[in-house]
Amino acid sequence: MELTPTAEDAAFRIAARDWLLANRPSDPAPRDGQASRDYATRWLATCHAAGWSGLAWPTDYGGQGLSAARLMLWYEEYVRARAPSTLDCTFVALNHAGPTIIARGTEAQKAFHLPRILEGRSIWCQGFSEPGAGSDLAALRTTGRVEGDELVVNGQKIWSSYADIADYQELLIRTEPGASRHKGLSWVICDMTLPGITVRPIANMAGVTHFAEVFYDDVRIPLENVVGELHDGWSVAMTTLAFERRTAALALQLELSVKVEDLIAMADAAPGSATAERLADLRAEAAGLRAMTWRTALREPATPFDGSLMRLTFAELAQSIHRAAMDVLGPAGLVDSHWSYDYLESYSETIAGGAAEIQRNIIAERILGLPREPRP
Amino acid sequence: MSFDLTPGEDLRQILDAAQSMLDSHYPVARLRDGGADGLDPLVDFGAFLLALPEKEGGAGFSVVEEAQLHVAFGRHLVTTTALATAIARRIEPEAVAAAGVVDGDRWLAIAPRDASHILARTDEGFVFAKMGAQSDVVPFGASRPMARIVPPPDHRRADRETDHTACLLVAAQLLGVAIGARDLAVDHARTREQFGRPIGSFQAVKHHAADMALGIEMVSALLDTAAIALRDGHESVGFQIAALVRIAPRVALETARAGIQIHGGIGFSAEADAHHFLKQAHILRQFIGTYDMLQDPAPLAPYGKDVS
Repeated sequence: MELTPTAEDAAFRIAARDWLLANRPSDPAPRDGQASRDYATRWLATCHAAGWSGLAWPTDYGGQGLSAARLMLWYEEYVRARAPSTLDCTFVALNHAGPTIIARGTEAQKAFHLPRILEGRSIWCQGFSEPGAGSDLAALRTTGRVEGDELVVNGQKIWSSYADIADYQELLIRTEPGASRHKGLSWVICDMTLPGITVRPIANMAGVTHFAEVFYDDVRIPLENVVGELHDGWSVAMTTLAFERRTAALALQLELSVKVEDLIAMADAAPGSATAERLADLRAEAAGLRAMTWRTALREPATPFDGSLMRLTFAELAQSIHRAAMDVLGPAGLVDSHWSYDYLESYSETIAGGAAEIQRNIIAERILGLPREPRP
Repeated sequence: MSFDLTPGEDLRQILDAAQSMLDSHYPVARLRDGGADGLDPLVDFGAFLLALPEKEGGAGFSVVEEAQLHVAFGRHLVTTTALATAIARRIEPEAVAAAGVVDGDRWLAIAPRDASHILARTDEGFVFAKMGAQSDVVPFGASRPMARIVPPPDHRRADRETDHTACLLVAAQLLGVAIGARDLAVDHARTREQFGRPIGSFQAVKHHAADMALGIEMVSALLDTAAIALRDGHESVGFQIAALVRIAPRVALETARAGIQIHGGIGFSAEADAHHFLKQAHILRQFIGTYDMLQDPAPLAPYGKDVS
């Protein structure tokens, strides 16, 4: 086992650091709306122009094809330089929709969408969850009826992040009448400007509008927008699971180390005090998360459910750090700041993308081999 | 390859061999009889030579491999004398050392019988000395034989690298204890039935088990990266060891505690093995001591505004 950069790795790290420090935006990111889109797409275009976008994408599709280790080096420099959060409105396109189209899309889909995504010209949102299908995604009920060379879509999605400012949506719908659960679903590229789509933004508890409900009333989507086979959407949706250990989520995990250092500097706790002990725990756990991030990125073969261990460790540590920040801030925490804002935002971490309870079930059943609960 | 965290074939072979030796000579069930562990099977296996250079009769492996070996020892709750001896032989090649902890103005030696030396964790780090006169004490929960000794006047402090190695190997054993406790609990949860189904199918039990896996994954990843940092002399080694020392005891204790809870009534009895893991975690926690987690610079510190 080795963690020693070669001379080329070291040069790569320095090049990344120099570029990031010279080019990172000096103004803070707007929190929502069109301004947040403009900021994110400007940053992505800047990265793209300098050859720093699509780092994990294959070179055949305009990416940089970086190794897992180089990707880690890049994101370590990225968070140390305080470059913009990777969890912005470009996240779904770069880390989910794009990789899915690369893996399962047609040549026409690739040629049209991939350059737009990499250059920051098109923003994507996810259309998976529904009011009756949250943790139980396979319970989704939005339908697509095949009519000639079109799908006629009716139903409702919810918690669709950035739907208010997105151009396209990765839409998972039920296309085979009578099929149930994981069967008969299709993964479809939905143009958000089509007639019959209504987006109702929903403010979140941090006071910003990131997610939305989306209603579909006889929305006609060309069949050529189906990615993968018609009725095979579940397997398409699962395609990117393997890619997930090489996404911008790495930056979010590593960023917690930077946040802990910021918190330690802000707290200026007396040695041996209860606050110092708590900060020591957080610092150690952030180091633990970093070690897990490196190991999951590099270890072969990839073990598919390690993602749940990583995801849950990240989510709970993010919340612990922000709770500690609020305690350190005291009365000042009642005033809006990046700490109090991030604190409220952190409540989503144990809910979005698979609630903590579901992640624990996955860990217990898939990693430890405990018996599954009876399912419908 | 410059970056690689996949265990190599060499390591897998040593661990397979170690597992056979441990299964024959140190099955966890042996502790029900309360006998003391001998060191002979470990000596025959080469446990104390593993990290020595080949020209000194060793196998030429590094602390990276040695740490994994001690994870396996931890799973089998092998006497702490094996652990202390593996560390002490870096100072004195023929020593058999018991593990010791400082308790006020006296030291507490764990399983001191037949030990020529003691390796004790003090506020200044690990120190090494000849074994002093012993007076027996009653160990908590009839766990391991223990004795008080007067602190030897001429003890030697371990150098920084040996100190780090000691922390690494004790943490490795704590990880092994956690893994052993988890495996025992998960086996029980798979087979024990109540309300007509295995108790492991209930979420309340599953989530305890998932928490065990989360803690173990973090310690295991830290152990790998800290061992590599120590072997290769990375400048972050102090920081990584500190993080490991902070987290490994907590995870071992929490996992052992949850393991007893998952076992229910039999877990509280001395007839099941769950309590042995808890007691070993307590002993190792005292042996590893504490380490200032806020002292070393963080490897992922943010760049200041003035960096260019």
